[in-house]
Amino acid sequence: MGEPLSMSKPLSRGEPVSISEPVWHPAPARVALVVVSLWLGVFLVAPVLTMVGGFVAPSDISRVLALPSTWRLVWFSLWQSAISVAVTLIVAAPVTWLIGLHRFRGRRILRATTTVGFLLPSVVVATAFLAILPRSLHYTMFAVVIAHAYFNIAVVVRVVGARLELLDIQLINAARTLGAPPITVWRTIVWPLIRGAVAAAAAVIFLYCFTSFAVVRVLGGPRRSTLESDIALRAFGIGDIPAATVLALVQLVIVVSVIGVIRQLSGREQGLSRLAALPPTAVAHRQRLFACCVAIATATFVLLPIAALLWRSVQVGDTLSLAAWRTMYDSSLAASLWASARTALLAGVLGVALAVLTTLAVVRLGAIGRLIDMFSIVALAVSPVTLGLGLMLTFDIGWFDWRAKWWFVALAHTLVAFPLAVRVLVPAWRTTPIGMHQAAAVLGAGELRRLVDIDLRRMRPAIVASLGLIIAVSLGEFGAASLMSRAGGETMPVVIARLLSRTGDLVRAQAFVLASLLVVVCIAALVLVESALGRSDRVARR
Amino acid sequence: MLHVADLVVVRDGHRVLDGVSLVVQPGERVAVHGPSGCGKTTLLHAIAGLVHIDAGSISLNHHDVTHTRAHQRGVGLVFQDDQLFAHLDVADNVSYALRVRGVAKRERFSVAQEWLERVGLSGFQHRRTASLSGGEAKRVALARTLAGGPNIVLLDEPLNGLDDELHDQLLGDVRSLFEQLGTTVVHVTHDRAEGAALCHRSIEFATLSA
Repeated sequence: MGEPLSMSKPLSRGEPVSISEPVWHPAPARVALVVVSLWLGVFLVAPVLTMVGGFVAPSDISRVLALPSTWRLVWFSLWQSAISVAVTLIVAAPVTWLIGLHRFRGRRILRATTTVGFLLPSVVVATAFLAILPRSLHYTMFAVVIAHAYFNIAVVVRVVGARLELLDIQLINAARTLGAPPITVWRTIVWPLIRGAVAAAAAVIFLYCFTSFAVVRVLGGPRRSTLESDIALRAFGIGDIPAATVLALVQLVIVVSVIGVIRQLSGREQGLSRLAALPPTAVAHRQRLFACCVAIATATFVLLPIAALLWRSVQVGDTLSLAAWRTMYDSSLAASLWASARTALLAGVLGVALAVLTTLAVVRLGAIGRLIDMFSIVALAVSPVTLGLGLMLTFDIGWFDWRAKWWFVALAHTLVAFPLAVRVLVPAWRTTPIGMHQAAAVLGAGELRRLVDIDLRRMRPAIVASLGLIIAVSLGEFGAASLMSRAGGETMPVVIARLLSRTGDLVRAQAFVLASLLVVVCIAALVLVESALGRSDRVARR
Repeated sequence: MLHVADLVVVRDGHRVLDGVSLVVQPGERVAVHGPSGCGKTTLLHAIAGLVHIDAGSISLNHHDVTHTRAHQRGVGLVFQDDQLFAHLDVADNVSYALRVRGVAKRERFSVAQEWLERVGLSGFQHRRTASLSGGEAKRVALARTLAGGPNIVLLDEPLNGLDDELHDQLLGDVRSLFEQLGTTVVHVTHDRAEGAALCHRSIEFATLSA
């Protein structure tokens, strides 16, 4: 997972970019456009078209849509997402208030802590909740919803918190001096200014919960299935590819609609964010105890499942033992480490290249650029399971036989993660003042030279952040990998899920060992992304 | 020699430059005066190749450069707001034009050192541009432009925003530098006294249009 659509911050300080300036030659951007179009055409559009055109007849559509089970799936996917959104907003509200409106020691650490859950692989989060919840709560809706809330606290803190940071405290003070009690101030001043951000955050959370796969599969138990998990089941459990494809299309339509809503809400937010802002204030004396409790409770909520993972990794049956850790030398576990590492690295390299080229086209090509930007967002709508299914149906046949290749999963991860990287790169790229390009041009630098010396050089931190983001997404990606990996080349999340489905204390402890290792790597990626984004902000302000 | 003839630049349906003509002899320094928003900066950007020209011609040393791209014109421009490259240190900023031409790093560094000495900034090579004062940044911007060896230097109100004492000191330094080098200069400013102090002759922007 990564930064959602509306989390890209308005960084721009430089003059607005105008493509009519002759200082820019469109050739490099056009080349980028061709490369990106070819890539997306072959690996995204063609698989989706293959699914629809090659495996679905009109009778399949009517057959699947006529089944009551289809609408039960849609209904369950919708309402579990709605409840997850509500619970996430409630759980995240206190810490968002604390971080968004206040300045205190440890604020950055608390904010980074809330991001941990968001960057952790979904299968790890699910595993962590298995470790921490009593057995009576395993395979219940409570487990699913609380894990979704754990994931998405960061979305609320980042989106709504950023909006709160922009609130002019003097507005609140003005309302107070006019006699408004605190609740009235919130209802009449604060809420109208943040409701767009709350709605945008809710839409993003809804999207993630709606396409949730690993959490539902691990924590929901066999009786609960979302559209996403049922697509996988029908395609690879039952072998009913037409039904899986129709369900994938139903999901696509719903997700595209939600993305449309997000775009609308994000647009409104940008208009509002030009309000004058004062830095957050210190926590009022009478609120200190409450603030302290909020900080401790949030940190505990985020860190306890991780601690539980570590604890369960050294617990075999009722005894403490490092036996599971020692089996890391076992070939299948070590192989999954290696498979995850090389897949993530390749996905990182390919994804960054694709994201940089997409960003170049987006910022330089006017209307076509906006079209590409929109397309990169629509790519987010194709869920990993759908994407994996499409790639398998297109490239695992005839002479392709790509499923046997280790890099096949990396291709899918590139497509899953690059739209998130584009969300990081576009605002960062747009902070380069046009004057800097003009200065370099009159000093003799041609288009390509300026691209390397000015844009890419200034973008380095954002590119590093994108790389970290893609690697984190790839390491934790479960949906596509679970369909596309072959035995022996499975990534860590796939092996974790497989181990959890078996019986035996040692086997489960091994799952917790792998999950702990993924946590460590993902937290390292988080630190990299956070510090790189910090540097990117500093570059943007220069 | 710079020869601008009947230059027209249209933006958003408005003629920002409407038949502007200007001749500057080699080694001559010309000040162009005019109020804010009259098109002085656009004129410099047109000469530098940074804006689209709708009509007219520009020649430099008898070569028509009207349609030559900015990085191939050999025109130096000191921007009003310096436009230093914040991601490069001072020496890399000053020697950027040499880097573009593929000059070796060691040589670039020594050229940068030399130019920094000339503008009174010895020892500033490794400083970040963000740490420079307003006057220092302007000296670096000037050194960066001159180090490229341009055919002509365009100054876009480069001494704006400095306090009086620093302004006068920098003005004197810049003038003596240009006198030493025999640089051809077009200097746009709204400050008549500054133009008169730096240049051989001054022209009202309004008189440039036919």
